Amino acid sequence: MAYVIGVDVGGTFTDAVLDDESGSVVAAKAPSTPADYSRGVLDVLELLAEQLGRPVGEMLAETHHIAHGTTSSLNALVTRQVPEVGFLTTQGHRDSIFIMNVEGRYLGRSPHELQHVLEQDKQHYLLPKRHALEVVERIDRDGEVVVALDEDAARERIRTLLADGVRAIAVSLLWSFRNPVHERRIRELVHEIDPDVYVALSSEVSPRIREFARNSTTIMSTQVGPGLRDYLTSLESGLRERGLAGPLLVMQSNGGAVAAAEAPAQAISTVGSVLTGGVVGSMALGRRLGHRNIISTDVGGTTFLVGLVVDGRPERETTTVINHHPINVPTLRVHAIGSGGGAVAWVDAGGNLRIGPESAGAVPGPASYDQGGTAPTNTDANLVLGILPERGLLGGRKALSLEKAREAIRLRVAEPLGLSVEDAAAAIHAAQNAQTGDLLRKTVVEAGYDPRTFVLYAFGGSGPAFCAAYAAHLGVEEVVVPLGAVASAFSAYGLAASDIELASELSDPAQLPVDAVRAEKNFAQLEDQVRQGLDRQGLTFESVEIHREIDMRYAMQLAEVTVPVTGGPLDQAALDEAATRFETRYAELFGPGSGFREAGVQAITYRVRGRGVLPFSPELPALPAADGPDPAAAETSRRPVHLDITRGFEDTPVYDYAALRAGHVLTGPAIVEVPTTTVVVPAGRTGTVDELGNLTLRPAASPEGA
Amino acid sequence: MAMAVPGSDRFSSRPVDPATLAASLPGSLPVHTVTQEQIDALDPLTYEVVRHRLWSVTDEMGEALKRMSGSPIVTDANDFDFAVSDELGQEVQVGLYNTMLVGAVDLAIYWTLQHRASNPGIAEGDMFLCNDPWVGGGLHQNDAMVYQPVFADGKLFGWTSAIAHQPDLGGVGLGSFSPAAQDVFSESLPTPPTKVVRDGLLQDDVADMWVRRSRVPLMIGLDLRAKVGANTVGRDRLLAVIAQYGADTVKAVMKRMMTDAESRLRGKLRGLPNGTWRATGYQDQSHTGDRNLHKITVAMSKDDDHLTIDFTGTDPQTGVINCTYAGMRGGVMLALLPLLASDIPWSAGGLMRCFDLVAEEGTINNASFPAAVSRGPIGPAWLTGNLVAECLSQMLDRAPEPGMHVQATCCGTWDTAVIAGLDERGPVPNPFLSIMMDPMAGGYGAQPEADGMDTGGLFCIPMGRVPDVEMTEFLYPVLALWRREEPDSGGPGRRRGGVSASMAITPHGTSFPIGLVLASAGKAVSQNNGLAGGYPGNTGVERIARGSDLSAVLADGRLPADLDEIGGEQETCPCYGETYVAPGEVFTMFWQGGGGYGDPLTRDPEDVARDVRELKVGAENAPAAYGVVLDGGGAPDLAATERLRGEMRDARRSRGASGDGQRATVDVSRGRRLDDNLVAVGAGADQQVACRHCATLLGTGTEGALDLVRHEGPATDAGPQIAPDADFYVDQAVQFRQYCCPGCFTAISTAVVPADHVDDITRASRVLADAGR
Repeated sequence: MAYVIGVDVGGTFTDAVLDDESGSVVAAKAPSTPADYSRGVLDVLELLAEQLGRPVGEMLAETHHIAHGTTSSLNALVTRQVPEVGFLTTQGHRDSIFIMNVEGRYLGRSPHELQHVLEQDKQHYLLPKRHALEVVERIDRDGEVVVALDEDAARERIRTLLADGVRAIAVSLLWSFRNPVHERRIRELVHEIDPDVYVALSSEVSPRIREFARNSTTIMSTQVGPGLRDYLTSLESGLRERGLAGPLLVMQSNGGAVAAAEAPAQAISTVGSVLTGGVVGSMALGRRLGHRNIISTDVGGTTFLVGLVVDGRPERETTTVINHHPINVPTLRVHAIGSGGGAVAWVDAGGNLRIGPESAGAVPGPASYDQGGTAPTNTDANLVLGILPERGLLGGRKALSLEKAREAIRLRVAEPLGLSVEDAAAAIHAAQNAQTGDLLRKTVVEAGYDPRTFVLYAFGGSGPAFCAAYAAHLGVEEVVVPLGAVASAFSAYGLAASDIELASELSDPAQLPVDAVRAEKNFAQLEDQVRQGLDRQGLTFESVEIHREIDMRYAMQLAEVTVPVTGGPLDQAALDEAATRFETRYAELFGPGSGFREAGVQAITYRVRGRGVLPFSPELPALPAADGPDPAAAETSRRPVHLDITRGFEDTPVYDYAALRAGHVLTGPAIVEVPTTTVVVPAGRTGTVDELGNLTLRPAASPEGA
Repeated sequence: MAMAVPGSDRFSSRPVDPATLAASLPGSLPVHTVTQEQIDALDPLTYEVVRHRLWSVTDEMGEALKRMSGSPIVTDANDFDFAVSDELGQEVQVGLYNTMLVGAVDLAIYWTLQHRASNPGIAEGDMFLCNDPWVGGGLHQNDAMVYQPVFADGKLFGWTSAIAHQPDLGGVGLGSFSPAAQDVFSESLPTPPTKVVRDGLLQDDVADMWVRRSRVPLMIGLDLRAKVGANTVGRDRLLAVIAQYGADTVKAVMKRMMTDAESRLRGKLRGLPNGTWRATGYQDQSHTGDRNLHKITVAMSKDDDHLTIDFTGTDPQTGVINCTYAGMRGGVMLALLPLLASDIPWSAGGLMRCFDLVAEEGTINNASFPAAVSRGPIGPAWLTGNLVAECLSQMLDRAPEPGMHVQATCCGTWDTAVIAGLDERGPVPNPFLSIMMDPMAGGYGAQPEADGMDTGGLFCIPMGRVPDVEMTEFLYPVLALWRREEPDSGGPGRRRGGVSASMAITPHGTSFPIGLVLASAGKAVSQNNGLAGGYPGNTGVERIARGSDLSAVLADGRLPADLDEIGGEQETCPCYGETYVAPGEVFTMFWQGGGGYGDPLTRDPEDVARDVRELKVGAENAPAAYGVVLDGGGAPDLAATERLRGEMRDARRSRGASGDGQRATVDVSRGRRLDDNLVAVGAGADQQVACRHCATLLGTGTEGALDLVRHEGPATDAGPQIAPDADFYVDQAVQFRQYCCPGCFTAISTAVVPADHVDDITRASRVLADAGR
């Protein structure tokens, strides 16, 4: 087997990257096909094969595996294009999903929206009340059955749902993670009536304390599960027909993949896959470049995504928010902190210059797109400042109107503030950098880290124009802009580089000291589930890594901190060590002395993560070496560019990235034009091209930068 | 009026003139400030960047506090707040949690500058602790604030503060709340500003003195450190911003944020009609054993760009239902921030310059020492806020600009239930004490173009939260039989008030009764008023199934969904009292939803059909409250609906005596909307008020009264959401009172009030004064 293929299905484009072990990389892009996304996947594979110069059947026959990330489940949830599902829960507690702990009114809203209390609502409830039915049963916090399941009544509820056309049922009962007996029995009852109905149990999808998040997680998983099952079945059979021998894997929110056949039962675990590809790609590239601490910034036209890699591992979190609902999905931590190149600049009633949160989006887009947009955006400011070429983006295929950009900035920003158009554009650029720098710093610092110990990676269409500036705000010295063969499909590259990752968790809340035997029993059970899960993937692993962790908190706190626990049979000493780690990590997060052990520490949720390392590490192709550091051969033109308020417009060289070679050193100010993006090297910085084609920006004084 | 205790006036903090305050400070405390020229010289870019930084500083403080706190009231219910203030204590940036606290934070800092600057001094590395509601910081003693001076270049630059509700700080009652308190000495001891951190070091003597008073010392100790930690985060971040931009620039930005907020609010006020609006509301019972109603009344006048909010006529302080000046001001802020300032940064120091407060000393919402005030924020301050909101909504509904925030009254109080007992589930029995936080899921009032948010939360805590039932059962030995939305608890209206919820718990995992301390209001008289003819939301009720044997019911395989299915005797709880729920018994709470907007007979029948489908309105109440007839499939029968609505209007016509006789009509096609039902025609002194629906002329000019038909009936005429047993709680008679248009009998105002309630519905100048500007 020679190849590994990563396929990333986005809302607009389906990207694919093919990699082999000898350092050749091929990338392709095809339109996504929303009616049936599998067509776009098959299309892009045809294109890949064409580029490779081989028939698609041969290519697939020699493919070790395909790793697949798809936005379709997330899109379905966000746009609420999901089939009707049923929900069965404990009598008296149906309204948990309508009360939403009250927080459903404001979760996931921007700070700007939070202040507008009267404009919020709870209209995003997951299903109509007639599809949320109660069963008579009760289990208490110790897992004891207080009231046995009334099976006849449960059958009647199930029949009611089925009679209403429901074909998928989410079952989430109180304390089911402590004792799943009633949930399991209900599944049997459903299947006795109709074995084809899709059933998801909260004790399997999300066995974690706090019923609201567990309910919503189970319901959302049920909403996307059947669709994912149908889609993957059809895709896999299409691939088999075309000769794929190896497995089809699906990316999960946790940054690891899972076999396609296993995915639908835990459908919710795949919703974030498309967001995490960039972080996984950064991690893979970081391994090549020797970077252990990475701030990954993916800036597109409408989104700004940030992820962290710390000591070679991605930052994780245990909960995410979808449609204002908390969702229990172990996930790579990806922060959406702004609105990218399309963020609109405006002057508020108090005469303050503001950037975002509104975005001009793709339609009508920035004023300079000349598609009817009149709001000035970052992109418009960059055009006025000379950072973007007047002839347009994508090598001139996407025209830009300087006149429209100037007009928008003049009317909306320059005149209200009494500035020239150029100064107003510079102000927008600087405000955007400062604002981004602040949000980034907050993201890193709140996670308990010092940004100065990180390298920043910048990709996506809009990031490289700003990255040097926002990195400077953060105090980050080194910035890497991946510009090699995979630059245009960095997320798909991340998919191709991923391993298999499975996680199982179980809440067993208790005050420390916890009985080591009980804790070990929890871990043993979870580890067993994970190992069995890995076995079911149908893959041979080079190695299997097992990680144990416990979410702990000081008694009564809401916020839990995840701490690793050493592997192997657990004894009291190992638990004590975990408690100490908790306190150390807590102090890192919240400041020394803020902990208070006397209040007691509680262990809440046990988790085991298993990583099956695939015996396949894609290599990136090397870029030919330059004769020397002088990049003059790649210079295509010069133009006046304004990058810094203290320097104004300066005559600036423009380089074509295709002509750059390994070892070239660019001295700022300089611009590098890439078909999909524009890189800014500000004054006082240098840009060094490495052997993979990445451009690394460093302060000019730095010895490595010379 | 109560006599003030000599020597207690020292502790009554009031807003001060900043220049006077600055001039009073000793030379030993150099203060950093900037000139107007420096403020004017700020460039927009720097202003924007630094403003953002200050926002982040505040936000990070809040995150730190929330994560570090050990109190479920903070972590699971978000009852806390935090602020960054300038050198004189004026609030530059505040958090979005408990917005009442915004009205109290600066008062404590003013007081500290006035009384601590010389002795013991205010120095770098200090933090102060305060829970004296007369001094400020919090609204009752359970609100404990930790705040610190931040110094730049040796000068006092500003303040950060963190404040949170503590579950218990001593006193005779569980949770520091005694429903029978005679005065503040039955409650937690108010602690005036005390240095709890010196030179960066938490002082063990002060910390020990602090935790020693509490029934839950560990939790209080953890929370004290959480607040110290949040302030440390705030100072470090603020100093980093100063290091980057310079103290002068940062200060200039802080000052300008406040003047910006002020000028924007003034600009908004200028565009609104001048006039005076009034509202009067009640707390039923003042303490254990009381059977009276206690009123707060407000007249809010708007003149040009300024509001005067006058509480003259409010009842004297009594029982436990009082708040200090800080509570009154906090109540005003809970209404003003979301209704008037949602689109203006919450630089509260600037916003608070736009109003004056007038109140007599020794009254319910301006109580003198030593009144009992532990019910302060959740009783009188809350009612103060809701009444101010009612005035603001009347004013805003008449705004010439559309899109103003108009809202019927939200859930009118906090149903307090302190629970305490012995948890026998662990290896060793463990005492516990907490507050049921579920009543956070109240209903919001309806808006002209939106129904009130169902279980949307509480208006005074925009980011409040209820705990998961599983977390409650994990922490305390209880089993929740239900926690559910209650149909019909939202006030009927053209837009329906948001529904509230109820909860039932029983002891589980303890062989002892669980002690209960109860405090609430709005059980006999509505506190969640409708607007523009909309009906009030539900009255609250707490009940206990006394002497029942729930275990037999459960063992029988039944899960009761109602007290009737449990057995025993149903005991209705008074507003104030101490009681218990024993094993086998069940305690239920049912808190308030929101008021409706507009006459329910004008609600779109499709909306009613959806409400019935989604269990927001009971099937039998669709015809009774809305006049909507649904067919067998749940769809509205439009012909039958029209018939029924006609009959209901006829019934309104025939029940009154003065409804007969023809009235003149006027051409309203070019009239200006005054609210959902009223329209103004013409200009100047000859302006006329008419019904928007039937064009009946209701009045001419701003003098005199509108021609409306008044009806009084039993309180239950308002619907099934209103308790039939007001006389269980109070001695005064309670009635349903409605004003209708004499032409079409559309409801102009609907309320459940005491029989002697003086309303302000027919005053022509309420709707017309200055409407022609």
